[in-house]
Amino acid sequence: MSFGLCVLIFRFLFYTDLFLRIIRENDMSTALDPSAISAAITRLADQIFQAVGQETIDLVGIRSRGDEVAERVAGELRAKGAKVRFGILDISLYRDDLAHLSSNPKLQSSEIDFPIDESRVILVDDVIFTGRTIRAAFDALFDYGRPRAVELAVLIDRGHRELPISPTYVGEHLETARLDHVVVSLQKTDGKDAVEIISKQ
Amino acid sequence: MNLFLQGGEVATEDAAPTRADVWIVDGIIKAVGVMDAPEGARVVDCAGKIVMPAMFDAHVHFREPGQEHKETILDGTEAAINGGITGVVMMPNTAPAIDSATVVNRVLEIGRKCRIPVLTSGCITVDRKGKEMAPIAGMKKAGVLMLTDDGDAVPNAALLKRSMEYALEFEMFFASHCEDPQLAGPRALNEGPASYRLGIQGTPALAEEICMDRDIRIAHATGMHLHIQHVSSAIGMETIRWWKSRGAKITAEVAPHHLMFRDEDIGDYDTHYKMNPPLRTAEDNAALLQGLKEGVFDLIATDHAPHTEFEKSQAFVDAPNGLSGLDTALVSLHDRFICNGDFGWDLIVKRYSAEPRRMMRLGVAEVAEGKPVDLIVFDPKKETTFTKEFMKSKSSNTPFLNKTLKGSIEMVVLGDKILLER
Amino acid sequence: MARKDFLDIVSLDREEIIHLLDQAVPFKELFTRSVKKVPALKGKTVLMLFYEPSTRTLSSFEVAAKRLSADVTIFDVPHSSVTKGESVRDTIDTLQAMRADYIVVRHQLAGQPAAIARQTGASVINAGDGAHAHPTQGLLDAFTFREVCPEMAGKKVVIMGDILHSRVARSTSTILDKLGVEVAFCGPGSLVPQTRFKRFTNYEEAMKWGPDAVYLLRVQKERMDQPFFPSDREYHNVYGITEERLRRIAGEGIYVMHPGPINRGVELCDGVLDYERCLISQQVENGIAARMSVLYDLKPQVS
Repeated sequence: MSFGLCVLIFRFLFYTDLFLRIIRENDMSTALDPSAISAAITRLADQIFQAVGQETIDLVGIRSRGDEVAERVAGELRAKGAKVRFGILDISLYRDDLAHLSSNPKLQSSEIDFPIDESRVILVDDVIFTGRTIRAAFDALFDYGRPRAVELAVLIDRGHRELPISPTYVGEHLETARLDHVVVSLQKTDGKDAVEIISKQ
Repeated sequence: MNLFLQGGEVATEDAAPTRADVWIVDGIIKAVGVMDAPEGARVVDCAGKIVMPAMFDAHVHFREPGQEHKETILDGTEAAINGGITGVVMMPNTAPAIDSATVVNRVLEIGRKCRIPVLTSGCITVDRKGKEMAPIAGMKKAGVLMLTDDGDAVPNAALLKRSMEYALEFEMFFASHCEDPQLAGPRALNEGPASYRLGIQGTPALAEEICMDRDIRIAHATGMHLHIQHVSSAIGMETIRWWKSRGAKITAEVAPHHLMFRDEDIGDYDTHYKMNPPLRTAEDNAALLQGLKEGVFDLIATDHAPHTEFEKSQAFVDAPNGLSGLDTALVSLHDRFICNGDFGWDLIVKRYSAEPRRMMRLGVAEVAEGKPVDLIVFDPKKETTFTKEFMKSKSSNTPFLNKTLKGSIEMVVLGDKILLER
Repeated sequence: MARKDFLDIVSLDREEIIHLLDQAVPFKELFTRSVKKVPALKGKTVLMLFYEPSTRTLSSFEVAAKRLSADVTIFDVPHSSVTKGESVRDTIDTLQAMRADYIVVRHQLAGQPAAIARQTGASVINAGDGAHAHPTQGLLDAFTFREVCPEMAGKKVVIMGDILHSRVARSTSTILDKLGVEVAFCGPGSLVPQTRFKRFTNYEEAMKWGPDAVYLLRVQKERMDQPFFPSDREYHNVYGITEERLRRIAGEGIYVMHPGPINRGVELCDGVLDYERCLISQQVENGIAARMSVLYDLKPQVS
């Protein structure tokens, strides 16, 4: 056998072993597979369509991943014949933990090109957890104008709220422990659709 | 006193150090050679160490009278002893300036209370203002040999010429701080890429070279011996070499910092590298070192310039010029040049001990039979860390602060007194 | 790990510069909103320490800080030459007591902002020190040039005027160079030192080199204690943008930039301000976004 082949085999064994160790130590499990995610998106689109399908639907996705969820929901709503306006909100400047970070998250522009005043905005995010991200999103959104009403659509509600905020539309409820780490991957942002939970032993 | 320095190598100005023991009795060297320890003598182990004549620094700034917060004559002499130096010549830019017999006497009186002899130069002009001649004859009577307005040049060529003609009678000599005031600018650093990068107007080497040329010509025309102080530029050195080849009566000194450091070392506005004349380029470093080896420079002198930490922490342009050199000079020369093989102990003995004493018309210190004791013991294997506590100068404005260099001065003996023993 | 201070361009690498430029874009986007403020620096104190007078830079920083919801204090310092002997340390002690998070310093002596930064945990931003550096100006100049020439690599910019005394020349030339722009200097022989950039002392030669933009510097009379060239009139004729030169510049679509304040009739004629490729007002607008980007990015080490 050639030396290069030996190296390759060794590397494969090494990383597989490492992966298994990590799973064993951290007990990573797949909570939602791609079909479950598509089902959750469809569920969200149905709920929203039933509630407000006759009017123009204003979806504002919270970067990052909330924007991809909003885009996919918008696609399904349009397929049902609804009129949808779509925007993206970057909330980096509104986080309440900026002073505690050693370096800031990558800042990008928000992209909202329809007027917020008097519109009924549905904020969209991938996961709601403590609720702090949504609070920051309220502050950001209200600096763009005064909406008539604000609703919240989330792909996943994992519980453990620290603020009195509850979503209007939920794709999927997930049972998680407080210290669990929920990793959401979406096709356009991460290359695959998956929701994984990593719980520390 | 009965001292036997055993096992060391004795350095002289003519040759490389040779293995010899030194026997000292009551302030006189009784014998030099390889021998057994005499009975009753205290034996000092000098194996691997160099025994050499003590150093003499012909250019120091002790800030007394007037700026004693930076340094007093006493502190300065203790720093000298710490650095293996047993004789110094003070510069007269004190407050009041040393421009009359009264101030000379005051300074020498304070000096007499110190453990090593203190000599002083005197001003060429009253208060170094460059307007009127200082009472030169009076100062000669008080013991001054060297006249200089160090800190500044004498701007008026006519005044310089007249004072040289006048002073010839008193067998004194002149020393020049060369700097054309109109080209000097804020006197912060060398004009070049470093000054551009730091955004501060620099002083071109031209300013020193033009004034050096002028002063040498005036001295040559009048027949006065001129000593050029702290030369910092290669072209300046070539000027001196050229005039010496024509038989001009000039001598010149170079400071260790102009051999070791360059303007780029200023880095991020580090005032420890700020002095006048300023540090120039690596080419100048190399040329000056060559000049020292060839003998263009007659002597090494530190231009010891103590300043307080507060003063040196000012903005770069405002901070005062100079570094504190006495504690560190000999060890740094060993660390930078002797360890590298650039030159040997014979050059050090000649240029930092023998020639300065000759210039001041003193007897040369020698480690030889029958001579009075004026020597140091140097250990090339030990290291010295220059902490504030280790240095005896009142100020610690040196780039070597808290640095460790190779070499250590172990002992200083003058007459029948051991001034220093580690 | 973000840096504590913003003192010069020289210490930044290309990635950091591009990050700061990219980050300025969302801040510029905020200007179009009704509420231009964001709470990113809420509760933080920004102290303005301007030893040299300035209305433009001072107010630009003030607006930037306030739009980040910071509290801004203008520290009253003597505008005449700094009292000798007052050490940087004395000023620092006063500042420490005020617990500022960010200190914006402009000083006539090069190196002062760095000296202050070494002695305080607050984030220090250099708003101009002597002839040494003016990094936020460099940043906004690069930002402005990038807006009109997104592909900066290979583009040419000639900086014209009093290079010797100009901190803007140093910072702007350095940042453009790091971004791949070819930089040249042009001006009177007594005011253009030898550097690693191309050196012109003739206007026509500089223009023949084919610049995409001309960056004009103000003649800094207040930094010269001795004359470096004969008169303003001669300067304008030999190195300034006269009406005739403006016609040719407009014909070739060359951009004109200037850090301000301008000396009408010296480095440029009035017509330049009406020229459509004159970027001076964009520079001012972008100044606020660039300074917001810097303030947002720095991390003070204050407990």
